[in-house]
Amino acid sequence: MKKVLLFVIILGAVASMCYASGQAEKGSEVKELNLFHFKVSQVEQWEEITEVYKNVVPTVNLNIETVGGAADWSTALKTKFAAGAGPDIFIVDGPALAKTFSEYLTDLSDEPWVEHVLESAKRPMVFDGKLMGMPFNIEGYGFIYNKAIFREAGVLKTPKTIDELRQAAEKIQNYGVTPFGNGYSEWWVIGMHLMNIPFASQPDPEEFSNALDSGKTTIVENEIFQSFKDLFDLTIQYGNKNPLTTDHNAQMSLFNTGQVAMVQQGNWKEVGIYEANPNAEVGIIPIPVNNDPDVSNRVPVGVPFYWVINNQSIVQDEAKQFLNWMVSSETGNRYLTDEFSYIPAFDNIKSNLLGGISNDLLTYAGEGKTIPWSFTTWHDGMYNEFAEHTQKYVAGKITYDEMLQDMQDSWVKLAK
Amino acid sequence: MTLVKKTGLTLLFIGPASIFFILIIAYPFFSGIYYSFTEWNGVNAKPIWVGMRNFIEIFKEDSQFFASFWFTVRFTVTTLILTNVLAFAFALILIQPIKSRGPLRTVFFLPNVIGGVLLGFIWRFILVNGFGTIGELTNLQVFMLPWLGSPETGFWGIVIVYTWRSVGYLMIIYIAHLLNIDTHLLEAAKIDGASSFGMFSKIILPLSMSAITVCLFLVLSWTFKSFDIVLSLTAGGPFRSTETVALNIYYEAFSYSNFGIGSAKSLIYFILVGGVTMLQVRFTKSREVEV
Amino acid sequence: MIAQKRNTKVTIAEIFVILAALLFLAPFYFVIVNSLKPFGEILKNAASLPQVFAWSNYSKAIEKINFVKVLCNSLIITTISVFLLVIFGSMTSWWIVRHKSKLTTILFFAFVAAMITPFQSIMIPLMRVVTQLHFVNTHIGLIIVYMGYSTPFTVFLYHGFIKSVPLQLEEAALIDGCNTLQIFFHIVIPLIKSMTVTVLILQALLIWNDFLLPLLILSKKDLHTIPLAVFSFFGQYTNRWDYALATLVLGMLPIVIFFLLLQKYVVAGVRSGSVKG
Repeated sequence: MKKVLLFVIILGAVASMCYASGQAEKGSEVKELNLFHFKVSQVEQWEEITEVYKNVVPTVNLNIETVGGAADWSTALKTKFAAGAGPDIFIVDGPALAKTFSEYLTDLSDEPWVEHVLESAKRPMVFDGKLMGMPFNIEGYGFIYNKAIFREAGVLKTPKTIDELRQAAEKIQNYGVTPFGNGYSEWWVIGMHLMNIPFASQPDPEEFSNALDSGKTTIVENEIFQSFKDLFDLTIQYGNKNPLTTDHNAQMSLFNTGQVAMVQQGNWKEVGIYEANPNAEVGIIPIPVNNDPDVSNRVPVGVPFYWVINNQSIVQDEAKQFLNWMVSSETGNRYLTDEFSYIPAFDNIKSNLLGGISNDLLTYAGEGKTIPWSFTTWHDGMYNEFAEHTQKYVAGKITYDEMLQDMQDSWVKLAK
Repeated sequence: MTLVKKTGLTLLFIGPASIFFILIIAYPFFSGIYYSFTEWNGVNAKPIWVGMRNFIEIFKEDSQFFASFWFTVRFTVTTLILTNVLAFAFALILIQPIKSRGPLRTVFFLPNVIGGVLLGFIWRFILVNGFGTIGELTNLQVFMLPWLGSPETGFWGIVIVYTWRSVGYLMIIYIAHLLNIDTHLLEAAKIDGASSFGMFSKIILPLSMSAITVCLFLVLSWTFKSFDIVLSLTAGGPFRSTETVALNIYYEAFSYSNFGIGSAKSLIYFILVGGVTMLQVRFTKSREVEV
Repeated sequence: MIAQKRNTKVTIAEIFVILAALLFLAPFYFVIVNSLKPFGEILKNAASLPQVFAWSNYSKAIEKINFVKVLCNSLIITTISVFLLVIFGSMTSWWIVRHKSKLTTILFFAFVAAMITPFQSIMIPLMRVVTQLHFVNTHIGLIIVYMGYSTPFTVFLYHGFIKSVPLQLEEAALIDGCNTLQIFFHIVIPLIKSMTVTVLILQALLIWNDFLLPLLILSKKDLHTIPLAVFSFFGQYTNRWDYALATLVLGMLPIVIFFLLLQKYVVAGVRSGSVKG
């Protein structure tokens, strides 16, 4: 028992010593600007930015809080607001979440950077004619493919339709490699990204989702949703074993070891791919919805997150000033392009990318072959439900038509 | 003792803990009851009072909530039995004079040193990748199943992880208890010609009832509110077949932004589980034998 | 019950538990092996032994998260919380057991009820309290939350134990003219020390590993604890397993050492504790 007490006392002493040493510095007359984001891979860069910004505006001290994906950042953010302790600048991942925070958003329409934002990147965050958020970058996803396997299997042209993709898959299968590495245990791979494709491939996706809200149309009777069955079945038929146990880590390990030729992922995986194989030959192709190349040969490109300013904040002007500095100063731009390796959402910032996936995405974007990220406008909880229904279909518990019907029911339920 | 002095002492002894408890648990719990009668997304400044609507909606329309309840009950009962049987067996063996018992006790307790969410990630990897690799090497059917990819394997995956996590802790309680049993009783029984099984069922088990009460309650309190391990292990999937009640409440409040309905669900859960727990404690307590 | 000699039955049983123990260790194999691999290799094959030992994972992780600071924070929070929990928890439990009244019965049932309530259901109202009391971004605030949050389990453990402590010693002390405080601190505390060790270990484990409360309460990076540091390597789409696992191993060490030091008391503690559940 004495040993225990001694141990506790020593621990306490050590702890209070380190505590005392950390309490030394404290400034005055400096305004705190609290910023909340979820990009855990950028923690170090943001620390540098904090330091640099002290020289730019000495009266503002940036206080960065990063909550990662595993920690469910949106829950942490909501809880802070519920408690009345919302940050001054924070991130929303799209208009749906922005609506949840609608009481707290600040109008950014008159900011100097607005004119340079790509039109498509602006649109999702315009409410009642007011721009409520600022994008940094655009991202895209599709089938990331191994160029070496494609070449050796004899697939010389990148497939643009479901039929072409099927022919490619057959060749790859005969060559001895599994064509698709499906990460269907991941709700965002199947429920959000994959199901976005038939939504966003509609002639007018916004009108389509309004029509669904008002009951003028249904998912079940939609042509594109019906033809999308062939794509979905194709990935399952020519896919890895046990897609429902495969998460995004397992998916990438299949891809990085050359066991599969394609994975449905986005340019956020690029760094990891080159880290596993510095000489990897990779590119990205669209996910087709039918056999019309004009409809199918387009990649979904969107803004992964928007910066918004809390209208309850006492440092709104400082917050606006900081956001503007990020996209208008040379230093700020350098972080966007060089440090974060972003494809900027601004027409006056040149991107600086070398990776095969980003380059392919830029090519598609340059040719205007893009579709939006419709899932950012879906009602709260929709992707959870879509993931549920699509996983049931993959497991063979329901037919494709039943799956569409379930998705339709979920839409009606959550739209009200 | 004067009344004033007695009151003073009561306050001194139970005051500090009670104040913290009221502030941190009781008050938030009761204000949660208020939210269960409102429509609120958890973020807006003012919740809107809607009376009983949330409760009516849950009972009328939310079959998933009750499905998650049923899952939680099945999972709790299975884990309850498995952990207690294993812990009891390990305890019986590890009180024997075997050389390795010290290190073995430590090994079984070790899983408690890794925190919940991360534990789920690590096990997810083992079940999905590790089991697959073993399956290819040994050709054993068990390892080649789609672990965590079907409702059944998801269920057993969660049971395995919780069992792995809890057995060592319960084992320690049982060991301590078994060491306390009066050996004279057992020797007397042996002289009377009782079989091993007879001794186990007639003497050891009844005398262990108090330890069993404690262990059952502990497992019940862990599994019924199980959240973080399930979140990182299956996140309730595939197709919400492994969703626990706590997970269902969490999704309702935070993913669907219905904090009001989420609070109403917590209240329903609390009343039901509180009732079951009381019954369980009363039942096993009644079977305890005074030593 | 306890076999007098080694016999074949016992040997078979021993083999059975040793095999079970190996299974129990499998996850630790995964953690340690992968904490020593370069990131690329983890992504390729996580089950194999490392081909090159990437000790740099450890040095990089220590540097990236400011490990010394984070370790200190965890030590402060855990030590102070556990110390206070033991004092207030044992006082409350002793009073509840020795002075049965409506008040203490209700209090005890409230504690038991709290043990089955999922944290998520009180999270938002709790955070309102925490913000109004200005607990956000302070270690003291977090410690006070633990005081409330962990009291029920502490009282539950002590309650069963104190019931089994014979009254005679306390009565003798009373006749000798000791007052209540003297009885508690000089007679009762030494009697329940083995349960105190159990409470120390179990609560230290819970608080050391807790993730959600520090996440919600401590947003400033220099206040962070070890679990927050581990999770800073997990992103929405990518997980840096190499640094995360190295941090996890480093964070596990203090608590494993703590457990090994106190292990023999644990058995002694629950042993008397479970006599009368």
